[in-house]
Amino acid sequence: MKKVSVVFFALAIFFVGFVFAEEVFTLEQPAFITSAGQSPGALQMTVVCKMVKLDYTFEKLMTADDFDPQAYNCAIFVVGASGKGLGAAGIDIDEETARVVALAQKAKDNGLPIVLTHLEGAARRGASSDLLFNELSPFADALFIKEESDAADQMFSNIAEEKEIPIFFFEKTADLKNVISEVFGL
Amino acid sequence: MKKFFIIFTVIILSSLSIAAYFQPDVRPGKGVTGFGWLSDYHEGLKGTNLDTPVYFMDSGEEGATFLLMGGTHSNEISTMMTATMFIERAVVKKGRVIVIPYSNKSGVSVNDTRNPNIDHFLPIETKSGPRFIVYGDRRTDPEDQIYPDPEVFKHYQSDFTLEDGAEARNLNRQYPGVADGNITQQLAYAIIQLIKEEGVNINLDMHESDPPGFTYKNSNGSTYSSGRLAYMLVCNPAETALEIGAIAAMEVEMYDLPIKLDQSNPAFRGLSHLEIGNYTDSLSFLCESPNPGMSQQEFPDVLYDEDFPLKHRIGWNLTVISSLIDGYNMMFGDSLEIDNLPDYFEIMDNGFEEYLN
Ligand SMILES: [Zn+2]
Repeated sequence: MKKVSVVFFALAIFFVGFVFAEEVFTLEQPAFITSAGQSPGALQMTVVCKMVKLDYTFEKLMTADDFDPQAYNCAIFVVGASGKGLGAAGIDIDEETARVVALAQKAKDNGLPIVLTHLEGAARRGASSDLLFNELSPFADALFIKEESDAADQMFSNIAEEKEIPIFFFEKTADLKNVISEVFGL
Repeated sequence: MKKFFIIFTVIILSSLSIAAYFQPDVRPGKGVTGFGWLSDYHEGLKGTNLDTPVYFMDSGEEGATFLLMGGTHSNEISTMMTATMFIERAVVKKGRVIVIPYSNKSGVSVNDTRNPNIDHFLPIETKSGPRFIVYGDRRTDPEDQIYPDPEVFKHYQSDFTLEDGAEARNLNRQYPGVADGNITQQLAYAIIQLIKEEGVNINLDMHESDPPGFTYKNSNGSTYSSGRLAYMLVCNPAETALEIGAIAAMEVEMYDLPIKLDQSNPAFRGLSHLEIGNYTDSLSFLCESPNPGMSQQEFPDVLYDEDFPLKHRIGWNLTVISSLIDGYNMMFGDSLEIDNLPDYFEIMDNGFEEYLN
């Protein structure tokens, strides 16, 4: 009986600890948001941020050189590659990858927590989007992921597990506002 | 007996391949406040089979002007029927809506050349008795075009080309149009003129494409999945248009309806969402519902297909329209309000026929 309760107690600690670990992930405003791949998902992110009245700045093509890490308390990369979006910006996927990696490096060097998000579902899970995500994942402190994006191959769940970072799921794009409210304490 | 005679006459008329005047069946409801012709904006269309009715629905309350276009491609019937339902049902409470239900009227005057098994006239039963939905062709009738198709299609304002010369008769390759060009170029020009003269703030060009769920073979033997374009909302790359699209897409999702948000490819010229947005001040959008008639099925049911019935497609279009309007209002304050249209669930429960006059 004693043994059982010890195991139970240990499990309880583990469980509480686990929940606690998820709960302690918080972010502070103002947030810096950029696109990684120039898909329209980044704009959906900003719409959600407006809904919850988050203090943020969105610059879809911000470079490491122009980025002032002192002005923000976190950096959010909305990952989604769009050939049309890149075309409209006049850059290719290699230039975009180089830009966001350098930007993430500067944010990390200056102690900013980094969030990667994928919110456009399976339709935005092409090779270029996956490449961008994998290039950025070493910098990530948390992931905000649409359930449908992860459903087929659990790529995002696996990354979160490997890196032991929290992953926050949402079903519909608009539900992302619950995640943001929770993490920023809005 | 009379009914049979009418149907018989319609069938005979429809089997004649001469370019002919064709007046689509639209029965305006109490929301319609004005009527005009596209040739009011460009003389060149007058007296041609491409001149087409334009319906005005003005609330009398100050607000924005929204242009709804159906039938850019006349085989994409949910677009014509959504526009028709709008004219027959909707009441505009704020701002103004202009509807062109059959944007390329020459296309509805002939059978679909892509799948000739689909009847030109599809009978439906409405509250006012039998009506026909007209299933036409994607492009301008060659008889109306007058000029033979070029070997390679070239967009007038750029060096953009397409291998299929018949694309010279595709309205959605001609924008911003040419005032003294061939008749399809003039059609695009007239639409641009209307948008400028009427001060259209936001426009939606409705389309259909092949439905998802099929696997097809390429000519080289490799396979691909159908439905790449289905459920897409394409936005002009202007930031405001994209932002409205982003809001609209989230709202459509709340109805548990699929939607894929995309933006114009700046390199693919002549398309409405890109060129109207760039040549006028109007925020430009295009949407694609899935039409079984555009799959590779030999005998598709374009009205009552199990997975993609017409009521689902019209319901999806209407959801996109109301979501775009909500997105516009979110960005610019309350500028447009539409009343008396069914929502997606109502149209699925009651059928599209219920909402036609
Ligand atoms: Zn089309």
